[in-house]
Amino acid sequence: MGENHASDVNRREFLAIAAAAHGALILGFWVPERASAQAATPEVNAWIVISPDDTVTIRIAQTELGQGVWTSNAMMVCEELQCDWNKVRPQYASANRDAREKAPAWTLNVMGNGATDPNGGGEPGFGNRDRTGVSGIPDSLYRRMRTNAASSVKDGRYYLQLAGAEARERLLLAAANLWSVPVAELSAKDSIITHVRSGRTTTYGKIADRAAQTPHPNPEKITIKSPEQWTLMGTERKNLDVPDKVAGRIVYGIDVRMPGMKWAAVKACPVYGGNVRSCNFDAIRQMPGVRSAMQFPIPDPALTRGRIFSGGVAVVADHWYQARAAVDRMPIEWETPPKNAAFNTANMRDALLASLDQPGKVRVNEGNVDDAFARGAKIVEATYSTPYLPRARMEPGNATVLVTDNRVDVWMGDQSPQEVRFSASKITGIPEENVYVNQCHLGGGFGRNGNGPQAEQAIMIANAHRGTPIHLLWTREEDFIGTTYRAMGMARLKAALDADGWPIALEVRTAMQEDGFGPESSFDVASRYHAPNYRFSNHTTKFHVPVGTRRGIGQAAHEFYRESFMNELAHAAGKDPYRYRRELIARTSLTYKDDMIKALDIAAEMSGWGKTLPKGTAQCIALEERGAETNRMATISAMVHTVSLSRDGKVKLERVDIAHDTGFSLVNPLSVKKQLEGQIIWFYNDAMHQANTIKDGHIVENNFNAFKLSRIDEEPPEINIRFFRTGHWLLGMGHDRATSIQSAIADAIFQITGKRFRDLPFDGHDLSWG
Amino acid sequence: MALDLNVNGTRQTVDADPQAPLLWIIRDHLGLTGTKFSCGMGQCGACTVHVDGQPVRSCSAPAETAVGKRITTIEGISPDGNHPIQVAWKEFDTPQCGYCQSGMIMSALALLQRRPNPSDADINTSVTNACRCGTYHRIRQAIHLAADLMKDGRR
Repeated sequence: MGENHASDVNRREFLAIAAAAHGALILGFWVPERASAQAATPEVNAWIVISPDDTVTIRIAQTELGQGVWTSNAMMVCEELQCDWNKVRPQYASANRDAREKAPAWTLNVMGNGATDPNGGGEPGFGNRDRTGVSGIPDSLYRRMRTNAASSVKDGRYYLQLAGAEARERLLLAAANLWSVPVAELSAKDSIITHVRSGRTTTYGKIADRAAQTPHPNPEKITIKSPEQWTLMGTERKNLDVPDKVAGRIVYGIDVRMPGMKWAAVKACPVYGGNVRSCNFDAIRQMPGVRSAMQFPIPDPALTRGRIFSGGVAVVADHWYQARAAVDRMPIEWETPPKNAAFNTANMRDALLASLDQPGKVRVNEGNVDDAFARGAKIVEATYSTPYLPRARMEPGNATVLVTDNRVDVWMGDQSPQEVRFSASKITGIPEENVYVNQCHLGGGFGRNGNGPQAEQAIMIANAHRGTPIHLLWTREEDFIGTTYRAMGMARLKAALDADGWPIALEVRTAMQEDGFGPESSFDVASRYHAPNYRFSNHTTKFHVPVGTRRGIGQAAHEFYRESFMNELAHAAGKDPYRYRRELIARTSLTYKDDMIKALDIAAEMSGWGKTLPKGTAQCIALEERGAETNRMATISAMVHTVSLSRDGKVKLERVDIAHDTGFSLVNPLSVKKQLEGQIIWFYNDAMHQANTIKDGHIVENNFNAFKLSRIDEEPPEINIRFFRTGHWLLGMGHDRATSIQSAIADAIFQITGKRFRDLPFDGHDLSWG
Repeated sequence: MALDLNVNGTRQTVDADPQAPLLWIIRDHLGLTGTKFSCGMGQCGACTVHVDGQPVRSCSAPAETAVGKRITTIEGISPDGNHPIQVAWKEFDTPQCGYCQSGMIMSALALLQRRPNPSDADINTSVTNACRCGTYHRIRQAIHLAADLMKDGRR
């Protein structure tokens, strides 16, 4: 939680509850106004408050969901502020202030020459002034409050560095004024200001009050440090919230408790677009703890990016287990749209397959693909599929909401508080300036989770219970209904090879549901592997499942298709899959082809590519990249996966060798390593275990008994990571890394057993051999 | 009805349904929120606590099953977050989102108390909690380090 605000609840009481529950106050937790030391200390700017004891509070506008943003954002401010890193305390920035205040003018201009200028601000993106906050708000105080698209460093770096630099220069100026010396004679390091000539020193804590009153004379002249000047950024820093995480002290949305709070459990129609036909509140009215029950409608699609979820029933009770027991007992009849209830995985798969034969939307058509196919010495064709997949974060959807006559408070972990603010205002009719979204840590993110309707449901329930804080918590089963899914997809790839095995034509057709976050935004418009004749088309059909981002958009699916097909082509050509890729990238004119080749070379070398392997073990290589078709920002990696397969068909990922682009520099390499390790498990799950099927319009696998999560026994024993520097700013790395595990396991199975599987996941197939 | 519980060494009386899940007695009646709810069916282990030293998935254990026994939660393993297993966890900067980590630590601690020198195979068999962020690589290293620290008699 973050910057404190007066609200209509007794905050002292809340603090007492929080403190009793945790034994200690949580970093950055929402504290009562008068009791907080920082309330006595004016902020230096909207990101920085320095207390008399030299504690530096740094406001974080993104949500900490395990990616380390509390630490990396704080590092970017601290680098320029030149304060003592050990005295830094992150705190969530206020989404309410963001509704009321504009960004300082000095943060609005990105310095430098874009993606390839190491001295500049890179290429941040803010979209338009979109009231829903989907694209960030270009001129609001904190601008980008969403946490998505692996973009926190990419978009925030330059103005977080600026915020630190602005504050440092004002602290120095305040000291110079106090001592009547030229500011140029002062230096600052680790929160201490020194005037070398006189030997005088002071601390940031002592001068902060004066700095707060000292305007910067020309903030537009502030410059930021380039990577070669960094001393904190670029070094491995442990995450600042880890000590509280291992002590069980971090407050997630689910942990919020308010005086007088009641709990809500809900059931939404399992078939999307469905609603309650009838329910019987009387049947549960006398159950223990039950206070009330209500129906809620399908959340307004204007608040959920056009997605149509379901209407449902909520029960409000003293304790959540009471509300849950009651809603489970409640007789409910659903009204489901017959068209939606007719969907099942088999007929959806058929529809996608059929769409592949339709003309589709041609995105690229280079050369003469049809002529080249007629000339090919060998034609290779393969159809791949990827299932619906949810994020299934460990913390089920929840939100605590208090609505009073002219104010809304929301406590939750959400990846887009500006959107929640908008939803709260629309549902209650209370202006956004009176909406307070109090951020909590989030128990896993993996894609903007707020695009499921937990906030909207909680606001609707609380709006009907004005004056009472309502804590909505989804069961795991509800979470599978309320989340959005990575859309099911199919792709047909076809190549004509010449007599030497090199492609002379490549045709790629991808199929996904309309607005499926994939065809339009993820597959490479330009082929990464050279084919002189190339056609790429998208094919869509209409399904009812609400789809959204999931550790990337469609990239993970598309890299499975592309890298699997490259393996198939290399085998058809009788060539080494590493050297085959290398040559085909070298033949392109892509801006970053040398970086892609370098990634492959490093990964191959690290893994001892080509060495003799035990029988039943295979090595597979793949390229992973985003942005390589441009001369802008990009992230490029290559991985070699060593996979073994026992004779009875048990897959084991033995070792992963990763070559990863740092761009000009990473900010916190430790967080990057952790996220790479995490994505190995993520995409191993995708390759081996995870799929959601549809039956009669609803999701079938809705808890971890049927939706399998890998455990520690499936973690690869050896992970090697080597970073290499490139000449552009990084596009981000929170997703789309280690997607290659999917194609690698497919190819290892093929190399060892001779069987080729093209539909994810691979669980359930007979993989035995020998 | 009144349930007499011994939680982290303190006797507490809670007025609740004896069939209510132990997890929610701990989280909601006693305000100890370090133990997490995730699947509600004993699959993922985010709710793991110790009952008489044994790891229990508290989301699926009726509260009455813990009456008269010693319940230990993440809040009870050290006063200051510096139990050797927590020190080891911090050394590797193990958590990402952190949501599963209380349960993970309680499962690992139960293993270490039973088997002070666990092999990788022991870890695979006993620490069956789920982590969605994929922190297993660091968890394994942290368990081995914790074993060393605990052998040194630091706790």
